[in-house]
Amino acid sequence: MFLVTLNSSHSSVKSCMSVGILSIMLCVFVCVQEAIMDGTEVAVSPRSLHSELMCPICLDMLKNTMTTKECLHRFCSDCIVTALRSGNKECPTCRKKLVSRRSLRRDSNFDALISKIYPSRDEYEAHQRRVLDRLNRLHNKEALSSSIEEGLRQQARYRSERNHRVKKQTQESDNTTFSGGEDNGDARSHLSHDSAPSHTPHPCGQTPSEAGPSRKRPRVSDDGSGPEADSGSPTPPMRRHKEGPASEIELVFRPHPQLVHDQDYNQTRYVKTTANATVDHLSKYLALRIALEDRQTNGETEEGGGGEDRGAEGGEQGGGGESGRAAAGGGGGGEGSSLSNISEKQYTIYIMTRGGQFSTLNGSLTLELVNEKYWKVRRPLELYYAPTKDQQQPQPQQQPQQKSPPSQRDG
Amino acid sequence: MASQNMDPAAAAASSTVALKGSESGGSAARSSVSKRLQQELMTLMMSGDKGISAFPESDNLFKWIGTIDGAQGTVYEGLRYRLSLDFPAGYPYQAPRVKFVTPCFHPNVDEQGFICLDILKDKWSALYDVRSILLSIQSLLGEPNNESPLNMTAAELWEDQEAFKAHLHSTFQK
Repeated sequence: MFLVTLNSSHSSVKSCMSVGILSIMLCVFVCVQEAIMDGTEVAVSPRSLHSELMCPICLDMLKNTMTTKECLHRFCSDCIVTALRSGNKECPTCRKKLVSRRSLRRDSNFDALISKIYPSRDEYEAHQRRVLDRLNRLHNKEALSSSIEEGLRQQARYRSERNHRVKKQTQESDNTTFSGGEDNGDARSHLSHDSAPSHTPHPCGQTPSEAGPSRKRPRVSDDGSGPEADSGSPTPPMRRHKEGPASEIELVFRPHPQLVHDQDYNQTRYVKTTANATVDHLSKYLALRIALEDRQTNGETEEGGGGEDRGAEGGEQGGGGESGRAAAGGGGGGEGSSLSNISEKQYTIYIMTRGGQFSTLNGSLTLELVNEKYWKVRRPLELYYAPTKDQQQPQPQQQPQQKSPPSQRDG
Repeated sequence: MASQNMDPAAAAASSTVALKGSESGGSAARSSVSKRLQQELMTLMMSGDKGISAFPESDNLFKWIGTIDGAQGTVYEGLRYRLSLDFPAGYPYQAPRVKFVTPCFHPNVDEQGFICLDILKDKWSALYDVRSILLSIQSLLGEPNNESPLNMTAAELWEDQEAFKAHLHSTFQK
């Protein structure tokens, strides 16, 4: 009966082709009882249209439609043949026995109907393939990045173990855990940054500087491109924030607009660290970073090839020296000398209060407290730095024997 | 697994037999399975069924994690179960491997979480999908088949619904 209707309506499909897809569909599906021959339009939703034209096995549009002879259920030819070959000999829809392929018949009318409604089927399929391809590529990329992440995590673990050994030798007790997320534009450090929760809580997980001299040279160019990338992106890159055992905090670290001059160090840094770190830690970290970069740009030429040798034999020492504990006079030999004067006193940290005023932060405050007390909004904490008045420049030779705590100054 | 002792050629043949257009190669078949799974995921997310949900576990579209909330009016009301769904390359012509991740005290679920349900075995049809599987398991929770129990204790206790419920809730662990 349905078959007859389909045949009769097929002619009406042709006649009202110009009226549009929906009106065609109503001719076909609504007129099961009685064919509408006068062009009356009935609306059919695209969804119900789709469910009529879809193969229930591949969930795609029917292709080379086969209809079961007894129960009149429709499938793609490929789909039903495979289903019968691999499963029970019954209709997948209603379990009516299907003895063989002879229980099916080709439904070319239905194919004609679909090609009338979707004349651009090839185009549609090509589009679907493109979407699928893109999706697969994306998946592969994600898989790649997650494996890179895993690799970095292991490196960091190994590195922190190694640093731990060095640390014992130099009897250093600096607990800052800055996990170097501030290296903008460097994909590796962003990734390591993302994987930070696994290693940041470790007391000596200093990703950016702990790689030792062997990694230092390529990093110079990374840092060289830093300022542009820094100032170019007003907001820190999006990050997945996994809740680690110790909670972490992200912050934007900018130069103080009034107190930092153009010739001074004025990079914006993005930092992620544990919320337990204090303002002093941050300040010291900054001083160290600046001293390091200073040394890299100045010392690169004079150190020349010698740096390579040292990289080989003094890797651990050098890495240790750079890892933020130079402040206490650690660091091996001449290399550490320029870093031995690093102090949290060199820089004063400010936060912008509601009225646009800068207020000095006490060095003993933890970043968590700062965030709670001064910030409160749901975006990364923004802090400002400026050289402490008495120490306008982070001179490596200068002894940081400041008696007055920076927190007494007002901005 | 028995498959380890199988003749490789036979194993390959038996696995490709189920693939749509086996002559077109594995990747094409795999992509048609991916396509179907993506379609399912889309409809599942659009449908907003209450009490069931499912999502690929990671980037791998062939492994999903589903959740089932115990249906209202059954002893399982208020309990949420996680299940793993593992899709073979022959899907949807072959049933996915479905098991409880959350331990489930039920006459037709064993201690490893394996489920005795006909539509996951001989009564599988290519028309079943993640949604219908999860709905079937959800209804199985409330209406066990005590004729062929995997968990005898649960089957015997089922008669006494109060005691069953008490035991179920006291032993439930997420």
